[in-house]
Amino acid sequence: MFLLNIYRMANKYNKYTQPASKNITRSQIRWRTIGAVALLMVCLVVVFPSYINSGINFVNNKANLGLPTLPSAGFNLGLDLQGGAHLIYQAKTDKIAGKDQADAVEGVRDVIERRVRGGLGVAEPLVQTTRVGEDYRIIVELPGVTDVNTAIKMIGETPVLEFKEENNEPARDLTQDEQKEMDAYNKTATAKANLALAAVKKGTDFAAVVTQYTEDAQSKNNGGDLGFIQQEVYPEIYAWAKTHQDGEVSQALIKSFDGVNIVKRVAEKDGEKKVSASHILICYIGAEGCDNAQYTKAEAKTKIEALAKTVNATNFTQTAKDNSTEPGAAQSGGDLGSFSKGQMVDEFEKAIWDAKSGTIVGPVETQFGFHLIYKKGEEVTKLYDVARVYIKTKSKTDVVPPQAQWKDTGLSGKQLSRAEVSQNYQTGDVQVAIKFNAEGTKLFADLTGRNVGKPVAIFLDGTPISSPRVNEAITTGDAVITGGFTLTEAKLLAQRLNSGALPVPVELISQQKIDASLGSDSLTKSIYAGLIGFLAVIIFMIVYYRLPGVIAVLALGLYASLSLAIFKVIGVTLTLSGIAGFILSVGMAVDANVLIFERLKEELRLRKSLRTAMEEAFIRSWPSIRDSNITTLISCVFLIWFGGGFVRGFAVTLSIGVLVSMFTAITITRTLMRFVAPWCGEFGNRLFWGYTKDKNLNIKDQI
Amino acid sequence: MTIPFIKYSKVWLIISAVVAIVSVVFLAKWGLKPGIDFTGGSLLEVSFEKSRPEHDLIQKTWEDLGQKNAIIQKSGDKSLIMRTGFLTEDQHQLVLRDLRSKYAIDGNTMREDRFETIGSAVSKQLRTRALWAIILVNLGIILYIAYAFRAVSRPVASWKYGVLAIVALVHDVLLVMGVFALLGHYFGTEVDIPFVVAILTVLGYSVNDTIVVYDRVRENLIRRGSANFADVVNNGLNETLMRSINTTMKTTLPLFALFFLGGSTIHSFVLALIIGIISGAYSSIFIATPMLVLVEKWQHKSA
Repeated sequence: MFLLNIYRMANKYNKYTQPASKNITRSQIRWRTIGAVALLMVCLVVVFPSYINSGINFVNNKANLGLPTLPSAGFNLGLDLQGGAHLIYQAKTDKIAGKDQADAVEGVRDVIERRVRGGLGVAEPLVQTTRVGEDYRIIVELPGVTDVNTAIKMIGETPVLEFKEENNEPARDLTQDEQKEMDAYNKTATAKANLALAAVKKGTDFAAVVTQYTEDAQSKNNGGDLGFIQQEVYPEIYAWAKTHQDGEVSQALIKSFDGVNIVKRVAEKDGEKKVSASHILICYIGAEGCDNAQYTKAEAKTKIEALAKTVNATNFTQTAKDNSTEPGAAQSGGDLGSFSKGQMVDEFEKAIWDAKSGTIVGPVETQFGFHLIYKKGEEVTKLYDVARVYIKTKSKTDVVPPQAQWKDTGLSGKQLSRAEVSQNYQTGDVQVAIKFNAEGTKLFADLTGRNVGKPVAIFLDGTPISSPRVNEAITTGDAVITGGFTLTEAKLLAQRLNSGALPVPVELISQQKIDASLGSDSLTKSIYAGLIGFLAVIIFMIVYYRLPGVIAVLALGLYASLSLAIFKVIGVTLTLSGIAGFILSVGMAVDANVLIFERLKEELRLRKSLRTAMEEAFIRSWPSIRDSNITTLISCVFLIWFGGGFVRGFAVTLSIGVLVSMFTAITITRTLMRFVAPWCGEFGNRLFWGYTKDKNLNIKDQI
Repeated sequence: MTIPFIKYSKVWLIISAVVAIVSVVFLAKWGLKPGIDFTGGSLLEVSFEKSRPEHDLIQKTWEDLGQKNAIIQKSGDKSLIMRTGFLTEDQHQLVLRDLRSKYAIDGNTMREDRFETIGSAVSKQLRTRALWAIILVNLGIILYIAYAFRAVSRPVASWKYGVLAIVALVHDVLLVMGVFALLGHYFGTEVDIPFVVAILTVLGYSVNDTIVVYDRVRENLIRRGSANFADVVNNGLNETLMRSINTTMKTTLPLFALFFLGGSTIHSFVLALIIGIISGAYSSIFIATPMLVLVEKWQHKSA
């Protein structure tokens, strides 16, 4: 009891019980108000540079001034608010056992997401795995990325790191059972195909036959249509289509590499131009791919010019066989077969593409050396649009997997924890030292334990980069990759490995531009609705709080522009969650103002003068504002730290909003109110301040 | 006129407990219906020869087929990429037939470019980390409140304020989830990433609101002493009442506008926010504060 009294007495002197005493001069207030207005202008300029720019352009045109225009980048919008790039990658999982495939692809998904986020700085991409039949693919959607090529390059640079051990399984033939099974399968398949053929011959509608018999899931839903096929992909079907007309259906089964088909030709169109040519190459010391160089550059040039004088269409092949430094030229006579645009290097292609057939072009210089090119001819290939009924047949490789020297161990870049550049003390070689995570350490210990005295191969991007012999089981989870690296190469590799090493290789198979996932019409509606909502809030504030309400609206306006300006400058990506964070912080900014005003009303009710009441209100409401905002900030800090993706986007916008709202509520609102105060009466005016004097004031409550 | 909130503490708390229990029951029985973002589903890409139908029309077609939450994106000039819940092969064929009969008319052939099964867009890592984040956030809040309210550690220890704020928070989140479990069961409303964002928003808002009330109580306790704890708390409540109502209204006004006038794609998101924010205000007044008084009473009794 006694202690409680002391407690009470002590509290009498703390800040809650003391009257406010803050002396701010009028001129200070004036300066602060001007400062606030200036801030508002700056923010508006940052947020809406296009208007300013048109103004500047106008002035520039009229007065011939060279005023610079402002950078008018728009906001970074997330995928749900704007479109972007849509990339599809195929994961090459053929070397992984079935059950591990899904896992491996998940790993790829994570790595790619990390890459895209970090390297490209694209916040909030969408990366998801998908499955089509047996194939595993990864879809990557990048909001607002117009330069798809950079994105592709970035993802493509993800290294594929695999650890393999010797494959001791002997290449084997099919067992008798397997052979019998395969034969039986093929027999049924052929029977089915013949049924389909009979149906077609009878005159049944092709699309109906497709739906009933085809085993090609992809084309089944398009009436069996394969689109325009290329000769390289379906050589047998192409050959048939070439000799038949539109609308014709094959009357026999056409074999393709993995089954039999009944084909209907739908249409024909011109494809790309292809050129067939031979060439004579004289390479020199320093040219690319020129091992065993016999000439210096000057000598090579002389040689090629000499040859150019003597060579013609008839002796070209012999001359090539005798003189060309291209490996294998002695047999091939420099024949390059036929190639399409983009397959040869630029200088070569430019020289030969539009030349007349039968002529010799050159000398042409490329990075490989000097060439003389004989254009044998050109043709425009035709492409055929076909539809087919497809029945699968099995072959030996379907049953027995192909033999490889090395087999997978499941240890790959997925379990990589860290990579660093280091140096071998004894040899001075530059190496990349890698450390595995917990799972990797165990796998590695098993791997090395199994293979003591034998080599273990490290594959990078599909090629073996080193195959060290294992001396003893390594249980520390440390390994070293050597490969004759230079320091730069090693650094680059370590960097690539650190930002994510893929467990399986991926290949880009498609890229498209896509629209906002929320639907742009939906968005427009929502934006209008949001604006109406805000308008309602503004009206409410003004009606309820009168003059302070107007001040609050101004402060909020400044708050919104300041936040948006900061978002733009920092480059925060706005997604739906980001906007949610922003709306919440606006709500809290409103809240701060409301706290101050309610407090103000109370103080006025206690018959304090307007000035005193205002100062009291500020001081007394500050702890609430501070505490509530700080707890929100605490949440945001953790959410940013641990969360990812949309969680982070939300937390970032919310924290920025909270910080700015604390600033505007305390500084701006205060300044504006102080600025306005002297214009009103001593005790405030009921009209302007909207409070009612408490008639039955209890003196005891006054402190 | 002081409204006697505290007097009827038991009533409020019983109501809230009932609501919380009902929500838990709904959740346990029906669970939340996870959307495509979480479960993955099917992806269908089609391209049209001549003209591509509008977003809204396609959305409606999918709704009629039972897929309420299809995500539709335009791609290039002629294609549409659509992500929906998992479609069986029969459903797949049905959809194609339906789309063709409606839109592939007058030579506007529709071609299926892709049909795939897609995995979830949210990695497992993200889920575990987000969970950890939430736990740590709650801890952080309790610690901060314990610190900020140390001046009023009598009669109720300051860390208890924090715990009670969290209790109010849990109630709010349970309420929103319970409502969505109900909606999911009867209307097929799905829960996706924006929903999780809404929950996070509600987390932040509820604590915010509760703190403001507690802060007033704290001030009153310091000013007027804590002899009659219940009365002091009640006064504090009354004083902040107007402010709570005002702020809640102002935050929900734009949300209501969005709900009724805005696009359909964000409906469930906005609904979750509205429920959560109103509940946040409710829980600060009718749960957090009455519990404070109760805790004090229990302490008193056992002292």
